[in-house]
This record gives sequence, structure tokens and C-alpha cells, in this order.
Amino acid sequence: MATMQHAAKAEPNLTPLLDMVFQLITFFMLVINFKSASLDLSLQLPVVGSARPVEGEEELLILNINKDGDLRITGTLEKNIEGYIAKEAQADFLAARAKNPKMLFGEDLPTMVVIRADKATPFNKLNRVIVACQKNGYRKFAMKAMARVRTS
Amino acid sequence: MRKRKTRASEDVELNVTAMLDMAFQLLTFFILTFHPPPVEGQVNLRMPPPRLVVVQKDAVKEGADESDKRMVQGLNTLVITVLGRPASDPKPGWVFQIAVGDAVVADEDHLTSLGDKLKAALTDSGAGFDQIIIQVGSTVHYGGLMKVIDICTQQKLPDGKKLSKLSFVELPMGG
Repeated sequence: MATMQHAAKAEPNLTPLLDMVFQLITFFMLVINFKSASLDLSLQLPVVGSARPVEGEEELLILNINKDGDLRITGTLEKNIEGYIAKEAQADFLAARAKNPKMLFGEDLPTMVVIRADKATPFNKLNRVIVACQKNGYRKFAMKAMARVRTS
Repeated sequence: MRKRKTRASEDVELNVTAMLDMAFQLLTFFILTFHPPPVEGQVNLRMPPPRLVVVQKDAVKEGADESDKRMVQGLNTLVITVLGRPASDPKPGWVFQIAVGDAVVADEDHLTSLGDKLKAALTDSGAGFDQIIIQVGSTVHYGGLMKVIDICTQQKLPDGKKLSKLSFVELPMGG
């Protein structure tokens, strides 16, 4: 007669696995970039050799313009371009004035306008946005481009 | 004195399976939503609205006195003209012709001569340009215009600083 044995419990040690998974989660949480939500990644930016990576953390107004001249803000189509820019300029003026109380209405805004336009956007559509920005006191512009051709 | 009852030490084991399940779900979420943004560059420009181009030597300099009705002197301006191909062309919106002042210097495929011409114009200390205006045809594509801006921003002013102050004026149609 076979001797009765207690059923042996084979439990793997999950602790190292859990450690590794938590490390991976930490990595992904750190590298996740919420700023990219404001970028329209469907746009084909032009390739310009002298385009330099972004330096410093300034106040930015990111404007995505597709080849039809439509303005997209965090994925949403903005039909009233001039109205949107005027509203943003007002908010930027108030923010700038909070930092510098001597700032007067009509002075150049410190915010940098980041223009991300498709390479096939005609100039008249682009200029409409630039002129609206200039009328509202924006003077600093960053024209986005790829430093080299995107392979994927 | 009561004697405390000694007990055999028991291993307290936490069930980590549920935590591991949750951690794997989180990991799956992050892996699926992870999309590294492309490394983009930018060309920084200072773009004030374009101002009066014509230079009147006998006029007065621009000031803050609004009651002064005398003619304003204007700024010494270097004008670059960028014309685009019309919509009927096989390559609509491509840069067709670039001129510095009145002299035609380049097209989209031959931009090196534009750099040479600009270098000569900007380093001429006698010229002393106060502003640079780029007149652009309305059909010119952003991609072609950026090539011209790229050449312009590589130029140095007589004081050694890089050119970064530009203004744009839109020309009707291709120009």
C-alpha cells in the first residue's frame, strides 16, 4: 500500500517577477510624454538641415496647421482661428502680467508661437495664422521642421 | 507569573498573484499606449509685422508722437521675393523663382546662389539693412518656404549675430 503523502505545494517565488514588472511600469510612466497630445502627428513636416532641437522651457502656443489650412488644437478642429488666437493672447497677457506687473497691454508677448505646418500648406493659409498672431502681440515664432527625413 | 505560551514561528506569506495581475495589466497598458514622439527641430524667428519700406531721406524718423504728421523716413529694407508655381503646374506650390532685390538668383533646386547673394548683401557694411522682408507668393508651399528661411537664418549680420528677424508679405497668387 502506498504511503499517504501530503500534496506538496509547488509555489514559484513571484517576488523577482513583480520587482521587474514594477521597474518596467516605472520606466514607462517616466517616459510617457503628455505634451505629445498637443502635437498632430499626421502632419508631414518639411526637412530642414539647420532645424535645432527645442531648447529651454518657455511658454508655448502650439498651432498645428494641415495642408488645407485647418488649425487643430489637441486633435480638435478650431474653426475660428482669429478668435482662438485672440483668446490665447489674452490669457498669455494675463499670465505675463502676473510675472511682470509693469507690462502694458499691447507690448510684445513673451510666449513663443510654435507653428507645426504640413509641408504642403500654401503660404496664404499659413500667413493667415501668422498675421493673426502678430496682431495679438506675438513676435517670437518657432517654425517646426524635421532635422532629417523620417524613415517610418 | 504566567508563563507565555511559546508558538512555533509561522511564515506569513502574502499572496502577490493579484498584485502581479494588476501590474501586468498596467504594463500592458503602457506598452500599448507608448508612442515615442518624433525628434523635431525648429527654426526660431523674431517676426514683427512688416513696416514701411520706402526710404525718404528728407523725412523724420519714426517716433511715438501721433500728432506729428510729417512723412516717416522708413526702414532700409532688403526684400527677398519667393514666387511659386501655379496650381495648373505639375508641381504646384514649388518655388519657381527667388529674387534678392531685383536680381533673380535661384529656384528651389539651386539655392546655394541665394546664400551667396545674401551673404554679399548682408556683410556690405554700407547697406546696413534695418529689416528683411520676404515677399511670398500665396501658393508657395511651407516646405519650399522653409528652405528659403533655412538659407536666410544661416546668414550673419555685420555685427556677427545670426539673422533671425524677418517679416513676411503675401503676394497675390503665385506672385
